[in-house]
Amino acid sequence: MNMRTWVTLLLLSLVTLASACRNRTAEPVPDPLVRAYDMESDWNDPQRTIALNYEQSQGKRVFYTQCVWCHADTTPAGPSNRSNVNPNPPLMNDGAALNKESDEYMRNLITLGGSALGKSAMMPPYGRMLSDEDIRDVIAFTRAIAVPAYQSPVRPGAQYSVK
Amino acid sequence: MRAEEMGKVSRRVRLTFAVSSVVFLAVLAISPVKDYRREWKRYERRYIRFAQGRPDSKRLLADSRPEIDQIWIPGMNVVDRCTTCHLGITQPSLIDASVPQPFRAHPGIPHRVRDWGCTVCHRGQGPATEVAEAHQTTLAWEQPILPTKFIQGACGACHRAGLPETPRLNRGRELLTKLNCVGCHRLQDIERPAMLGPDLTGIGAKVSRRWIYKWLKEPRTLTDSTGNVTVNGYETGPESRMPKFRLTEQELSGLSAYLSTLRGKPGETYRLNPAILATWSKRSDAADQGEVRFRQMFCSTCHSLAVTRAGETKLIGGNIGPELTKVGSKVNPDWLLAWLRNPQAYLPHSRMPRYQWSDEDLYLVSKYVETKLTDSDLLANAPQLGAPTDSEVQTGRLLFVEKGCASCHGVAGVNPQQDFGPDLSALGGKNISELFFGRANIPHTLVAYIRAKLTDPLSMTPAARMPQYDLEAEDLDAVTTALLSMTGNPATSGMQQLVVTRAQAASHPAGAFGEVYERYKCYTCHKFNGYGGDLAPDLSYEGSRAQRPWLIEFLKKPQTLRPTLVLRMPQFNMTDKEAATLADYIGMVLQSPAVNLAAVDEKQFTPAMAAVGKQLYEIKYQCQACHTIGSTGGYVGPNLENVGNWVTPAWIEAWLRNPQALVPGTIEPRRSFTEEEVKNLAAYLMTLRKSAKRQESAQAQASSFEGRIASR
Repeated sequence: MNMRTWVTLLLLSLVTLASACRNRTAEPVPDPLVRAYDMESDWNDPQRTIALNYEQSQGKRVFYTQCVWCHADTTPAGPSNRSNVNPNPPLMNDGAALNKESDEYMRNLITLGGSALGKSAMMPPYGRMLSDEDIRDVIAFTRAIAVPAYQSPVRPGAQYSVK
Repeated sequence: MRAEEMGKVSRRVRLTFAVSSVVFLAVLAISPVKDYRREWKRYERRYIRFAQGRPDSKRLLADSRPEIDQIWIPGMNVVDRCTTCHLGITQPSLIDASVPQPFRAHPGIPHRVRDWGCTVCHRGQGPATEVAEAHQTTLAWEQPILPTKFIQGACGACHRAGLPETPRLNRGRELLTKLNCVGCHRLQDIERPAMLGPDLTGIGAKVSRRWIYKWLKEPRTLTDSTGNVTVNGYETGPESRMPKFRLTEQELSGLSAYLSTLRGKPGETYRLNPAILATWSKRSDAADQGEVRFRQMFCSTCHSLAVTRAGETKLIGGNIGPELTKVGSKVNPDWLLAWLRNPQAYLPHSRMPRYQWSDEDLYLVSKYVETKLTDSDLLANAPQLGAPTDSEVQTGRLLFVEKGCASCHGVAGVNPQQDFGPDLSALGGKNISELFFGRANIPHTLVAYIRAKLTDPLSMTPAARMPQYDLEAEDLDAVTTALLSMTGNPATSGMQQLVVTRAQAASHPAGAFGEVYERYKCYTCHKFNGYGGDLAPDLSYEGSRAQRPWLIEFLKKPQTLRPTLVLRMPQFNMTDKEAATLADYIGMVLQSPAVNLAAVDEKQFTPAMAAVGKQLYEIKYQCQACHTIGSTGGYVGPNLENVGNWVTPAWIEAWLRNPQALVPGTIEPRRSFTEEEVKNLAAYLMTLRKSAKRQESAQAQASSFEGRIASR
């Protein structure tokens, strides 16, 4: 068998191999806010925006209708009611106070109100007013805006706080 | 020799066969290797490896099969294979942002992925099994994935009525209406209102030619005492819904000449009572007193004024009516008097109420406007234009139609061009090949196209007639989202059935009530059975809520019920008869089916019940977190110190049982009070009454508070 046949065969196989390949287009660099359903600026640092997904942004809506009056220092209507409530309710982005509470505990607190969990009766129960999804969403929003940032637990599923 | 040759040949043939069969096998192997290396199979293998590393791997791998997964919904033309790679999309434990894509779970939305597919909302190519084909614009498929930022546009394709879940879309639709886009464009589901821009039939009697010139040249400037501050954007007040048209000097002089000759039908000049004029012309504080009246009447509920504090100019007040900082340098004094007395005589569709003015108030407030709300430099940059010549007026008349002025502003006897701008009612569903990008150097996508048109209309073609809007980044996104939602009529009958249309329920009652209702434009701020504004409480069930004596008192002398609210009900100076007419109608007609006024008799409440109710209020439920009584309590709910005079006992009881049944969306949470607790709380609340004298002093306090807010 001469050299020529070998070269032809080699070339043929290369061409066949090459035809199986295809050029892949480079994916554009994702801009975090283009991929976000909504956003919220960091309460402590207005320059920083936090991207929110669908659940978190629905939580933002619930928060700004129901919770903002007592759990934030500025409200859409001006002065906050936080200073009138004793003991002072935590700010909703206060990670130091809220990150250690499990989703389950937060859900119970919102659903049943403060007095049911041995806390202040000034926190009313929302279980007959907000849907389960609303409460899930508002917790997701709280987690998204938490400073310091919230780390989700390693083991998924239901968690219980030691309370 | 032969045998040798034969052996040689056969060896060669054997070698050839051997090599070619190896090559053949290799070629045969290409297909399975290529199949094995398919993108979606790689993602499936990666998902298995990913899931195995997690504690809940059993659940994650329960229904993963090594094949293409497809959601097929024939009625909606959905063939979506996205779940082939997006394998964790229905796994709630994969919601966290730390989960790598494409395996992250979909956030919880009202539509289940299995029932709706993906492309109905996200667009892109459903049947594709490669990343680029599915997500991007390709030769064979022009609709790329809609970026999540604009995904609410997809909601709007079916949900033509507003949804609380889509704030960006709602804001965009609101802006499309507010910015008068329907003046020139056809838009899906946005009807042309009775009035877009003000009717200009009598504009020559209202303002001078120089003012018109300045306004046409630069509609959005606000000057403060430190110099020229240009406030971009329509936030200077709804008046600057007027965009900037790029007009030449010749066009400016023509249009200003034409408009200044439009005088409408001359009305009679109103003569104020000479006795009042004589008294006040001797005093120097007329304008100051006018300012006090301006505040007491709560003009700032609808109108804003620019205030400079610490070098920063900002507007304080509402945005229902125009911003008034310099209106004194703008309008003719005779026109102002006539306007204040009867705005609808000049602009039939104006939302300004027709107040019951006393001559004194009219004089003081107009004096205040003419002397304090002025700026002597307002027209400094506008040239002296002189009397309009015939040729200028001719040019102006032509330009008025050609430039599209007539599309938003009516002038009696002038017919606007029909469909001045392109039809945009199906823009959101257009393919890239249908769009003209011209000389614009932007990515060829629908989103980029819409943004370029909105930010710089001339970027595609210098001949564009569209004026310049200065939208802020967030509003640009909102308008883009709203335009993307306008996809025309759905292609399939399945989708057609899903369209949720917007309800139109204009409510303009006739009769004596209708007259007062139109006079004071109640529906500008209040809602009546789904129609009206949302600045003030919904009054659809006010007849079940308010006690009649309180209602009449409130209509005649409004006071704030919620301490946090800055915007207040204006003082209309209503007559007794008008207040009685309103109270009659409200009491008879605006009733809630959930409240039976006759069922609750106040006499059943005993002091013992009230005492228990007080304990419940203060200790068990701690209502003072949100409600104020006297000087203590929260700002969130209404002040309850006069609730016994204000609200009917039947409403209180029904409200305590279920507030949302009475006012959907109200923020008071629904509690689980027992029937006894409801009775006791109602008994306590009905004891909270203020005497008329104490109300007076509280009112004085409220108006001084308003003064503080307005001067802030």
